Amino acid sequence: MLEVRQLTFAYPEQSEPWCFDFQVPPGQCLAITGASGAGKSTLLSLLAGFLRPASGSIRWRGEALESLPPAERPVTSVFQEHNLFEHLDVHTNIALGLHPGKKLSAGQHREIDAGLARVGLPGFGKRMPGELSGGQRQRVALLRSTLRKQPLLLLDEPLTGLDDQAQAVMRTLLLEQKAAGVTLILASHHEEDRQVLADRNWNL
Amino acid sequence: MAAAIILLTLSGLSALLWQAPVLEVAELWQSRYLRGVVHFSIWQALLSVILSLLVALPVARALAQLRVFPGRSLLLRLMELSLVMPTIVAVSGLISVYGRQGWLTVWVQDWLPALGWNLYGINGIVLAHVFFNGPLAARILLQALEAVPQPQQRLASQLGLSSWWRWRALEWPAIRAVLPGLGALIFTLCFTSFAIVMTLGGGPSATTLEVAIYQALRFEFDFGRAALLAMVQLLICGSLWWGVLRKGLNTDLAPQRTFAQHQLFVTASRTSRLLYGLLLAGFVVFMLLPLLAVVTRGLPGLWSTEVFAPGSALLDATLRSLAIALPAGGVAVLVALLLLAAGHRSHRWFTRTSEAAGYLPLMVPPLVLGTGLFLLLRPQLGASNEGLLLVTVINGMMALPFVMQVLRGPLHSLDTPSRNLADQLGILGWYRWRWLHWPRMRRPLALGMAYGIGLSLGDFGVIALFGTPGKPTLPMLLYQQLGSYQIHAAAATGLWLVLLLLTVFAVFNLLGWSGSQRPRLFPLTPIPEPRHA
Repeated sequence: MLEVRQLTFAYPEQSEPWCFDFQVPPGQCLAITGASGAGKSTLLSLLAGFLRPASGSIRWRGEALESLPPAERPVTSVFQEHNLFEHLDVHTNIALGLHPGKKLSAGQHREIDAGLARVGLPGFGKRMPGELSGGQRQRVALLRSTLRKQPLLLLDEPLTGLDDQAQAVMRTLLLEQKAAGVTLILASHHEEDRQVLADRNWNL
Repeated sequence: MAAAIILLTLSGLSALLWQAPVLEVAELWQSRYLRGVVHFSIWQALLSVILSLLVALPVARALAQLRVFPGRSLLLRLMELSLVMPTIVAVSGLISVYGRQGWLTVWVQDWLPALGWNLYGINGIVLAHVFFNGPLAARILLQALEAVPQPQQRLASQLGLSSWWRWRALEWPAIRAVLPGLGALIFTLCFTSFAIVMTLGGGPSATTLEVAIYQALRFEFDFGRAALLAMVQLLICGSLWWGVLRKGLNTDLAPQRTFAQHQLFVTASRTSRLLYGLLLAGFVVFMLLPLLAVVTRGLPGLWSTEVFAPGSALLDATLRSLAIALPAGGVAVLVALLLLAAGHRSHRWFTRTSEAAGYLPLMVPPLVLGTGLFLLLRPQLGASNEGLLLVTVINGMMALPFVMQVLRGPLHSLDTPSRNLADQLGILGWYRWRWLHWPRMRRPLALGMAYGIGLSLGDFGVIALFGTPGKPTLPMLLYQQLGSYQIHAAAATGLWLVLLLLTVFAVFNLLGWSGSQRPRLFPLTPIPEPRHA
């Protein structure tokens, strides 16, 4: 269970702070909608630890997260873009998600190759991100987040800007994750995303 | 690290002040010699700045107007050369062209005997300064001109602005911003110029402070006078840079490595294009003649085998030069990295302190720093190797402002999404350096290394102070050969020094590429070029 209690945050020039208060049961998907600037991305950044809240608490299975650094939180994020390090190849990009210094066992290397084949990108390990299409890049990012095996998946408009086919592939992958028990927080203004994935809708 | 640099500078300066009891400030305006030296230093520097800018402005304008012609990028690269070209080599080239027996001099004396051209004295000093700083200034001004936003340039060509209005509306505002920093840079370089004045200066009437300090230290052993002169020099350079930095420095000290990509339709009329072309041609001849002289006169000398025989003077000097320059490059890069890293992640005032510390070597000329340390460590120094160690450190400091500029952009180029991602994946500390910074930094690092090594290889000022004539570095050897009229040997040494420099740059360029980065992928995934380099 993810419990967010009275979590407040304001940017310096903002007069009235945001206040978030909600909970999500394990294995469910909460979809967040709202106009741009309503605080969707801010909320996801707070959960991931990129921003520090002014007050309030974030608990996952009873454990307080709000004071942990990003790397120690049981979360993984997929953004709309900039999910990959442009100067590193696909395999390295994924491998750095499994170990921050790329110290992997042979089994983990095989796991990455198998994963690439599963998301329809067999043998793409040596490609550079700049050579991939938007949909392919998002599949790599999603593959990395699934291989990290974190129980909380934060999705910030992950399908925006992709063509229909790529969106369909990504939705299937996300449904797999949900079925495997991963908790999803999805910020999206796509009606279809919410219908397919979300158990609950929340309009900010 | 910033503290260490400031400490090093302060200890040098306090050693100077510690000599203060002996110094007689009144001497400064009572002694005709000293008055003359100060006056001449400022006068030749001012003249050099004005003439350099007068050469640079039309050249930069011409290059900004003529955007496409064969050899343009080669010309731009050539203009960067003056940043690392050893002064003493360029001087030997200038002597071959403009000296007593020079190519041009002979010709001029035939046609215009009334001119009475003499390279030695203020003529040669200013000529050499313009030769060095004109191209550099033109390159930096061109950068400012090319930075004018494209829509504005399009608008100007659509309106068909006349040359004068183009200048007023577009070019002058762009140039005005970089002019103070550029002027200060050239002034400092000319004001503290050493090798050029040593070789082309003639007697007491054409001596700068820098040379006077050297003479006081090495020949007259008058430390009080050296301290006094160093303080005067520091006062002038320090207040100049303080003024410039206080207003915020937005001048690149070194040209960027990337050239502007966009190509605009040339709007200049046919006649003005012709004029620009002639201007550029003249400029190229001005730049190339001395280099050509170095090459053609040096080649026969290098051809003979005994030059490189084991134990020959040239080989000896080469090894000594490399022993000083290679570590100096390392010092420069390491200190620059530490300064930049410290400046990046801390408080505002701390950032400014450590960045300003990087400019300190410009404010406190190396010879002044050297003088202080010389006085401080004098008892221990003799013909020992510790002197050379000190030369390495000071050489490294000299390169600091330029190396920092090469490294600053790429080191801070990690964007927010990448930073967040790295935070989440736990790529911190060493891992972050290894996987995120190192791949982007290796080329700038290699370039910074090459700058550091290059500047130290060509250094003649600091080594003249600490070195011993019996154990010369390459620039010292060249100076000795020039002084004893061994023209052929000098030409060979000069060419050899240039070849060595080019090798250093080529090797580090290769090092920047090798490894996992395959150049084949370059067009698809550009590694960010240094923004300020």
